Order: sequence, then structure tokens, then C-alpha cells
Amino acid sequence: MNSEPTTLLQGTLDLLILKSLVAGEMHGLGISRRVQQITGGTFVVKPGSLFPSLHRMEEEGWISSFWGDSENNRRAKYYRLIKAGRKQLELETKRWGRISWAIAQALEAS
Amino acid sequence: MTRSVKVRSFLRNLFSTRRVEVDLDQEVHAHLELLIEENIREGMPPKEARRAARIELGGIEQVKELVREKRIGNWLYSIISDCRIGARQLRKNPGFTAVAVLTLALGIGANTAIFSVVNYVLLRKLPVRDPQQLVFLTNPDAQGMEQGFGDGDRDFLTYPEFQTLSQKNQVFSGLAAAASDGPKLSVGVENEGQSEGALARISLVSGSYFSVFGVDPILGREFTSDVDTVRDGSPVAVISYSFWQSRFAGDRAVLNRKIRIRGTLYDVIGVTPPQFNGETVGLSPDVWVPLSMQSEIYPGRDYLSLEATPFRKTEWLQVIGRRKPGVDLAQAKAGINVDFQRILQSQSGQMSTEDRRTFLNQHLAVIDGGRGASTLRGDFSKPLQILMAVVGLILLIACANVANILLARSAARQRELAVRVTMGAGAARLFRQVLTESVLLATIGGAFGLLLALWADAALLRLVSGGPNPIPLDVHPDSRILAFTLGVAVLTSILFGLAPALRAARVDLSSVLKGTSRSIASTGSQAGRVPVGKILVVTQVTLSLLLLVVAGLFVRSFQNLAAVQFGYDVDHLLILHVSPVSYGYKGAQIAQLFKEIIERLDTVPSVRSASLMDNGLFGGGDSNSDIFVEGAKPKAVETPASRWDMVGPNFFSTTGIPILYGREIGPQDSGNSQRVGLLNQTAAHYYFGDANPIGSRIRVKTTEGPSDFVVIGVVADSKHGSVREKPQRRFYIPFFNPIGDASAANVLVRTSGDLAAPVSAIRAAVKQAAPNLPPVEIQTMNQRVSQSLATDRMITKLSGVFGTLAMILVCIGLYGVMSYAVSGRTSEIGIRIALGAQRQSVLWLILRESLLLVLIGVAIGLPAIFGAGKWISSLLFGVKPADPTALALATALMFAAGILACYIPARRAMRVDPIVALRYE
Repeated sequence: MNSEPTTLLQGTLDLLILKSLVAGEMHGLGISRRVQQITGGTFVVKPGSLFPSLHRMEEEGWISSFWGDSENNRRAKYYRLIKAGRKQLELETKRWGRISWAIAQALEAS
Repeated sequence: MTRSVKVRSFLRNLFSTRRVEVDLDQEVHAHLELLIEENIREGMPPKEARRAARIELGGIEQVKELVREKRIGNWLYSIISDCRIGARQLRKNPGFTAVAVLTLALGIGANTAIFSVVNYVLLRKLPVRDPQQLVFLTNPDAQGMEQGFGDGDRDFLTYPEFQTLSQKNQVFSGLAAAASDGPKLSVGVENEGQSEGALARISLVSGSYFSVFGVDPILGREFTSDVDTVRDGSPVAVISYSFWQSRFAGDRAVLNRKIRIRGTLYDVIGVTPPQFNGETVGLSPDVWVPLSMQSEIYPGRDYLSLEATPFRKTEWLQVIGRRKPGVDLAQAKAGINVDFQRILQSQSGQMSTEDRRTFLNQHLAVIDGGRGASTLRGDFSKPLQILMAVVGLILLIACANVANILLARSAARQRELAVRVTMGAGAARLFRQVLTESVLLATIGGAFGLLLALWADAALLRLVSGGPNPIPLDVHPDSRILAFTLGVAVLTSILFGLAPALRAARVDLSSVLKGTSRSIASTGSQAGRVPVGKILVVTQVTLSLLLLVVAGLFVRSFQNLAAVQFGYDVDHLLILHVSPVSYGYKGAQIAQLFKEIIERLDTVPSVRSASLMDNGLFGGGDSNSDIFVEGAKPKAVETPASRWDMVGPNFFSTTGIPILYGREIGPQDSGNSQRVGLLNQTAAHYYFGDANPIGSRIRVKTTEGPSDFVVIGVVADSKHGSVREKPQRRFYIPFFNPIGDASAANVLVRTSGDLAAPVSAIRAAVKQAAPNLPPVEIQTMNQRVSQSLATDRMITKLSGVFGTLAMILVCIGLYGVMSYAVSGRTSEIGIRIALGAQRQSVLWLILRESLLLVLIGVAIGLPAIFGAGKWISSLLFGVKPADPTALALATALMFAAGILACYIPARRAMRVDPIVALRYE
């Protein structure tokens, strides 16, 4: 069951990317695989969604980028989480918590 | 905090685009390599790995485009990119671009040109402080001077009235007065070296004038209320910026210098800013002097003192007030009229009840004064509205043309657009790109149009003035005109750009790339497709027909005006105004002076006859008084007024007005004898019917009291003031046995043939008889008549020009549509010819289609024509709005255009080789 995040879940994708970067610096493919891993395979992030998000988040100042060498000594662009990004992650996590609680409540009501 | 980061990103995206793009490209490629590597690690063979990676990536360009869309500032980048793409497209098709730009420049330029004039005459506020607070107590559309007594709203105020209102009112923070019509006098600059200074316009104003308007001098100071205190005691002057530049060469030491007017020296105390041209639009004073100096400027007359009787008021001032804050127009009007009534009451003590009632029925119409005074508005308001409508129609026609050629081109651009789609552009993006092209076209066209308008306005000025005194129209572009041009450009680009942009957005990708879509879009020969091109052309025909009919009506009207009979011979008649009283002559000296001038002129061989007339012909002045006719028919007493002139001996033989009964005024009819007079035909018929009026006594009621004359003759009617004049009642009495003021007159000279000799003879005669007088201005009667027809002439010429322009545009439009239609039907024509059709029938096929379009356009236009005709009917002369000749002519021209337009396409159609045509399809 591979569903691709749509623009409606834009905030969700941001959240997942930020969470992935907590573990450390990663290049784009790495982030994509990490998201796949931590969501238990539910979300497969295609480059068409990943790159726009990454670049936008960099413009917002939540992550920063640099060129580095990958495992096989290939050049790749790496991203790291920075202070503003950590704050954003906190905010988004809280918000997500509120939303999911609210929906859970709604669904339990008879 | 993130805001500054975003701003940095925005700027980086804008200015370091290349670096950003290169970085992105490298990143996406690197990602691809990593994917391939991953696949190989999982065991895929290299080729398979590559293919799978490519699929997962989804296309390098697509990914990059997705990133670009999300970038901060992308909207700006797309606009710039669209502009660049658009500009490149336009450069690639220089011929098409040139035609489109030219068409648009003509349409937009015409609109801007006319709007500039409209702005100056009708819309523009005076360049003073808070013009919306200003009001006119007097009539801003009037100009000149009135003497006498009447009721209703006042055109002008007298000086004593102005003074009282200034002191006593409660609703205005200040009142200013300006003489309504300033004279042009010779102004000498001291130490300039010339003995005779050039003419300059003088404006007499109150001390409060500049402060009420809120105009600050750029040099020196302005008048204060001090200048009003002593009669002739303040010889100071404020000069205009242009006068300062032209006569003082912008010398900053001008404040120490003096100017000479009529022998008096005035200190120059200040210079006005360049944009201030007085309170009357169209009259730009060069020099302002205080009203208290009036007797120096108008010698021999007193316009400042309180009149001996209220019947002899000299009303000559325009009065402007600045409303106190919080006082609105209605309150100001009520307040000031209370004060005005008080003045009238105090003066009406000795009047009869009837006179009193009329006298007290005078009011001040208090109206918004932000736009200043102007006689131009009365003359030009309607013509300008009509011209704006005309150029608006021209613009629509031009837009239709450009839309049509854009649509034609869009068919040829299908492949290019399809490629853009594969590069990732969505329908919205395509729409925006094509629309941007249109906006670019319109902007370039608009820029050229603006230049065209600047040039045209200079030519327009010459058309409008048509005489020796051009109206100083200041039509240089200001912000409103620029905004107007921009607005029109944007509007036109939307008008003609919408259809092609929509069509571009609906590009059908697969059929275009496969080449099966019809590379030539049909203009209606497919069922169900909207024939936009044909609709546009039909609209053009309708609009153009409208313009042609209007032009035709104006041409016919002007022909009628030019053919009007005046009642006297207009050719070989010279006329000049001589005002001895302004130069110190008094009483009997004046009559003697005129007698001498006439005597000298009678001796000149090239002069057939010479005479005098107080009001002159087409001179702008007239006299009107109530008369009582002894023995008149009862009903004639209802409207007892008649116009009248004081004329010299031999007036009627000089002008050539036929004498129907009796005799004309002769040398014996001077001050000592019984006063005689003549009636014109209308007056005679009105008062006496068919009875002979000769011998009847007529009593003229003037401000001096009643005066009588005895009728000695009846003359034919004649035109005295305007070409469109209807016959009016008029009587003539001798200048040398006058009623009232006979201190100035027009001299009329009938010459035989060439005008050069008489002109110098007249100058000599006047100089010898009156050496004190300045050189006289001599005009021919033809010149005066021509000047009076200047507005009509302008409209006729302009509507003719625009009508022709419209026709040319329609011709081009029809040509475009028809050659299109022919291309689309090449195969059909080939088949017809193959089946035996004659070349002529093919010609007729094409011709028929073109003429059908014209016919539909004409049919739709007919109701609009009647409406348009009604709207302009107030300007027409002797022509009905539904004039059949104009209509027939316009329709014929349209059909001619239709035939002309399809000449080339039809020839092409006739020469179609059936074999080639069928093979091509």
C-alpha cells in the first residue's frame, strides 16, 4: 500500500522530513528511504514531492544544505536540521498531536 | 527570524538564477546516480537499473520544474521568463510584430491625443493648493464684460460689490477677483533696447488673488491686500514663468527691474511657478497687475467706483472664493447670497416696483471652481465627447485586427506550444505566456502611440486654432495621461489577447505532435466551431460604417455652413477696431477722428467705400435693448427687445446689405438733426406686418433713458455674429447721432480686388488722423468668418481622417479573413475547378463571401447609426441625422472596401491548380 503524499498533506511531509533529519545529515535519497522506513513502508516519497519540499524548507530556513560525498564517493547534496527547524518540528509535532486527537475523538463519538 | 531568511532566498532566486539552476540540475542528476547505484546493489543489471531509476525519478526536467514552481519569488520569475519568451517570439516574426505594433500605436495614440485635449479642457484641476475648496461666485463659462441691468444668475460682479462681499462674508476664508478678459498690450522691458515692446496679456487682479489660490512664487513675493488701497497707487506686477524666461532670459535679478505698460512703469515683484497659468483655462496671462491700476490699463474709463445709478453697473470681474473648512457648497451659496441680497437691497431704493422686482431677482450661482474658468468648455465639450467616441471605435477596430492576426498565427504555433507542454507547462502557464505576448505588444504599441499622440497634439492645436490667435493649450503629458495610456494599453491587450491565449491553452498535444491536426485553423467552415475571425470582421464593418456615416454627416454639414448666405458680400471686406477713448481722446474729438479716417480712406483708389459700425461683424459684441414701437401690432409688445447697431454713413452700400425700402444713413444724419434709423426685414415684419414702417417713431429704452428715432428705411436680414445665426430683429441708427457710448468703433472698408494696397493705406490713414494710437490690427471678413467656423472645421477634418483610418483598418481585416478563408478552402476550390467551374464563378464565390460579411455588418449597424446621428444632431447644420446621401455613400464605401480587400485572395483562388490543390490535401 504505497500512497504518495499529496499537496493536502504538505505539512505532514514536512514533518516527516524534519523528523528524519533528527537522526543526522542525509542526502535526498537517504531522507526518502528514511521516511519510508520510519513510517513502516506506508509513505514512499517520490523525488517529485521530495525536492520541492526540501528546497522550500531550506528557503524557509528550517534546514540547510551542503555538498558532500556519499558512501560510494559520489557527490551528493546533503541536508541538516538547524535550530529553527527543530523548533518547527516541535510545533508541527504538537499540532499533529492535536489534530489526530481531535479526529480520534470525532470517530469515537456515536 | 525566518522572514530575513526568506528575503535572502527571494533575492538569491532572482539574481543568482543561473547558479541556483546549475545547483539544482546537479542535485537531481546526483540523485539519479544514487538511485541507479541502489538498484545495482540490489542486484539489477546496469541497464535495468538505469531504466528503473529513471522511472522512479519521473523525468529530470519535470522534477526541476516542480521545484521551481515552489520557489519563493517564482511568480516574479515566471513573469520575467514569460516576457523574455514573448519578446523572443515577437522578434522572430518582425513583419507581424511591425503590423500589430503599428495598428495598436494608431489606435492607442489617437485615444491618447484626444484624451490629452479632453483632460486639459474638461478635467484638469488648477495647479493650486486644494482646488476642491475653490468656488466661482460668477459664471466660469462667460468671458468679457456686461453693462446694464437684468436678472438671474450673475455672469460677473462689479468692483464695489466684490469689495463689500470680501469684507462682510462669513463662509469664505478669502475672495479673489480677476478681470474676466485681459487685454493684450504692448509691454516694454526697461533697458531692453526696444522702443516698442512685444504684446503680452495683462490680467487685472485683486490683492488677495494669489493667496486665495495658494500659489507660491518661485521668486520674490506676491500681491497683498495693500495693493488694493490706493487708486493707481501700486504700480507693481507679478510676471509669469514663461514671460520671465522669454523677456528676461530667466535673469534672477528680475526683481529689481521694471516693465512699461502704456507709459507707466511697474516694479516686477515676483514670478509665478511654471505650471500656473491664471484662473481661466485657455487664457495664459503674462503679467498680473492690481485692479487698482485699472485706469492705467483701460484709460478713459472707470470700472472701480460705485455707479451713479444701479442701472449703469459695469460687471467685469470673475470672483473666486475659498470655502472655510467645514463649509460645504450649499452653505457657501446660501451664505453669500444673503450678503449679496443685502447689497442689492441697499441700492434699490429709488426704483420702480417693476424694476425693483427684476433687480432683486439677481443671484450668485456658487459652483465648484477647482477646474477654473474657461470658454473652451462651452465650445468644445460636445465635439470632444464625439471625438472620444470616435477614437474609441477606432481602437476597437484596431484591436479586432490584431486579434485576428494573432489567431491566424496561433494556428501556426501549435507545434511550439505542444513542445512547451512536454517541457512541463500547464494550460494555465501557456495561457499566461500567450497573454504576456499580447501585453508586450500592447505596451510597445502604447509607447509608440504616446509618441504619436505628442506629435498629433501639436497638429491638433493648429487645427483647433485655425486663426492668428492660437489657443495656448498645454497638452504635455502629465501623470493622468500616462495612466490613461497605460490603462488603454492593458485593456486592449486583454481584448485582443484573450482569444488567442484561450486557444493556446487548449492545445491538443497528441494530435499536434502527430501532425494530424489541421495546421490551418478554419475560420468557420467546420460545423460547431465558433467563427471568431468572421465575427470580428463583421463587428469591424459595423463600427467602421458608423464612423463613415458620422464623417459624412459632418462633411455635408460643413458644406452647408460654407455655403451660407450672409446677406452681404464677405469678400473684399476689411475690418479693424479703433478705440480712441483708450488713448486719451474724449467727446467730440472721437467723432471728428472717425470722420477724418473715413475721409482719408475715401480718397484711396483701391478703396471702393468705407464706413463705421460700433459692434462690428463677427466681432463678438452686440447691443440689445427693449424698444417701444408707435403703432405696432399688439402682439409685438410681448417681447419688445431688439438688437441694434450704430453705423456710419454709407454703411449699407459698403457692406452690400440691400436696402428694400427708403434710403440709407447719410452724412446729413448727424447730431443736430432728427435721429433716423432703419429696420431689418425681420423687425419690420414683426412690428408692422405688411404695412410700411417708414415714418414711424421708435423709442429705445437704454440705461441712459429713452431715446427716439424715425424709421427711414428697411434693409434685408444679414448675419452679424455667427454663421448659424437665425434671423433676428435688428435696427440701425447713425454713429454720429448716437444713443449711449460711441467712443470706439469698427471701421469697415470695401476694396476692389487686391488687399495689399488698401491695408497699407488704412494704416497710413489711421496713423495720420490719430498719431497716438498704436498700430491697428486689420482683418478680412473672410478671416473672421473662417475663425468662427474653426470648431466645425476641426470636427469635419478629424472625423474624415478617422473615418478613412477606420476604412483602411477594416480593409486590412477583411483581407486577412478572406485570404485565410481561401487558404482553407483550397481543396474545395480545386475540386470545383476540376469539375468544370469557370474561373469567374470562383471569383464570385469569394466575392460573395466577402460582400456577405459586409452586408451583415451594415445591417447590424443601421439601428446604431440612427442613434449616433441623433447624438450629434446638435452640431449638424442643415442635415438630418438620417441623411440618405451620407448613409448611401458610407455603405458604398464599405462595399468597395469589401471588394478591394478580396482582390488578392480572389485572384489566388482563381489561379488554383486543381491537381496541386488535391495533392496538397
